[in-house]
Amino acid sequence: MDDVPAIEVTGLTKRYEDVTGVDGLSLTVRTGEVFGFLGPNGAGKTTTLRCLTGLLRPTEGRVRVLGLDPLGEHLRLAPRIGYLPGELRLYPELSGAETLDLLAALQGAPVPRRAELCDRLGLTAPILARPVSGYSRGMKQKLGLVQALQHDPRLVVLDEPTEGLDPLVQETFFALLGEAAAGGRTVLLSSHILPEVQRTCGRVAIVRDGRLVTVESVAGLREARARRIRLTFDDGQGRRPLGAAERWAPQWQDDRVDLLVPPSEVVGALRGLLALRVADVTVEEAGLDEAFLDLYRDGGPEEEA
Amino acid sequence: MKDRWPLFWLALHRRRRMLGALLLGMVAFEALIVVVAGALAPGDLFSSGGKGPPSAYQAFSGSSGNVSIASYPGLLGAGLTHPFWIAMQLTAIGSLAAAAVAADVESGTVELVMVRPVSRSRLLAERTAALLAVVLALNAAATVTVAAGVALSPGIHRAVPLSGVFAAGFMGIGFALCMIGPAMAVSAAGRRRSQVIGATIAIAAVGFAVNFIALAWTPAAPLRFLSPFHYYTPGDALAEGGVLWPQFGILAGVGLLGLLLAHVLLRRRDLAP
Repeated sequence: MDDVPAIEVTGLTKRYEDVTGVDGLSLTVRTGEVFGFLGPNGAGKTTTLRCLTGLLRPTEGRVRVLGLDPLGEHLRLAPRIGYLPGELRLYPELSGAETLDLLAALQGAPVPRRAELCDRLGLTAPILARPVSGYSRGMKQKLGLVQALQHDPRLVVLDEPTEGLDPLVQETFFALLGEAAAGGRTVLLSSHILPEVQRTCGRVAIVRDGRLVTVESVAGLREARARRIRLTFDDGQGRRPLGAAERWAPQWQDDRVDLLVPPSEVVGALRGLLALRVADVTVEEAGLDEAFLDLYRDGGPEEEA
Repeated sequence: MKDRWPLFWLALHRRRRMLGALLLGMVAFEALIVVVAGALAPGDLFSSGGKGPPSAYQAFSGSSGNVSIASYPGLLGAGLTHPFWIAMQLTAIGSLAAAAVAADVESGTVELVMVRPVSRSRLLAERTAALLAVVLALNAAATVTVAAGVALSPGIHRAVPLSGVFAAGFMGIGFALCMIGPAMAVSAAGRRRSQVIGATIAIAAVGFAVNFIALAWTPAAPLRFLSPFHYYTPGDALAEGGVLWPQFGILAGVGLLGLLLAHVLLRRRDLAP
């Protein structure tokens, strides 16, 4: 069974009347992987996740999750999935405990992790006894995480999971993700928060306007896309011409400038820049956020490697 | 929440206060009708001009036959076709049918429910069962109240057998079924609760108006076959003392067709806010 990819999407297209939510998207997520699904709001992430969970019917393309068709084999697939929607909506009349009971009853499976998860996320018995209509966004999100993980699913699909969580709870969440990965679970994490993807995911797919831009390892993405060259001048003159390096879209702040330069061109760029009266220079690997912006500047989608 | 049939119990749990109020309202209203019927001499109604009531008034007595509103079966039938009775039935049906699918889609809770091992058929079945339980309770409350009133009023009891009261209550369930089917079909295809409630009210209002016009205006008489109120005839059941099975069959048949359509529509649609 482990030879079967956890998620296999081929040419997925989803149209809503005259709007295309996802356009010919293909990607594969391996079993046991923590996979990031990255893109700004409206890029098609949630639509893709809903197709994976059988909520939406693809207009075109083929979707397999744990080797099963999410629509045709929904009853076999759903017991193995834990899902946290991007905009978590709960029944306001129910208490937290009643909500978890309801969702466990619908899951039709034991919930071996509920007590532990509630404890770690700070959902105490008095909090769980209150109607969810009185919950803060963060508390609702914690409840959402418990319901997604309480039955210890093989595949966890999380849409913007850290929205509303305070930093301490985010740490607990990252620990839970790490444990899931160590336990051989597959995690698909959709987000537009780059540091959390950078921190938790091995590979990442980037989508834009419903199309796949790239699928790469996080490390590979950072390595391949850009280096940040930071020059510091000390003459107080501020912004000045940088010659050929102007094409790297310099970002000035007083006497300091940052340039994002492709790895193959760093040496050449430095030769030209060091001819200036530079007080200090640093070259570092760009973060995922810079790589992401770099990809978005590049334009056109590429096929998955 | 119960482990078995959680969607059934959830539907009832969320509407429990409204359902309690509807049950109380139904009992109070039917008790009032029985008291009013007992206080009147039905034969004297509309008799001042030497003529009986217009034939279109049969629409208000729940009859497509010869039961006049100026009779005990007609007066009690009026209590089972009165706009207040209809409004209470439609409130329950519209509210629970809307909650079956469309309200969950509108609010986004459908995502949490339908990513679990819950088939669309099961969603529809449990929600329909909740709706049936509610209309059974509502019609049982009306029937038992009227039956108690008839049993305690010898004058009415001589004209209306108790079997007729229970038959009329049964016809009420047929009417509710006839409304449930289309309402569930709209919910299965809809995205907003207001669509379902609006459609449910529209079907009943148009149906009542068509039946009344068909009875009042001879050229429009054939249109009466399109109205559920042509088949929902508690006045006739009260007078005859038995269920009018062909009419009940048509009402229930429309309901079942609506549920079948709901099933087809729900299988084909997207389930996301």
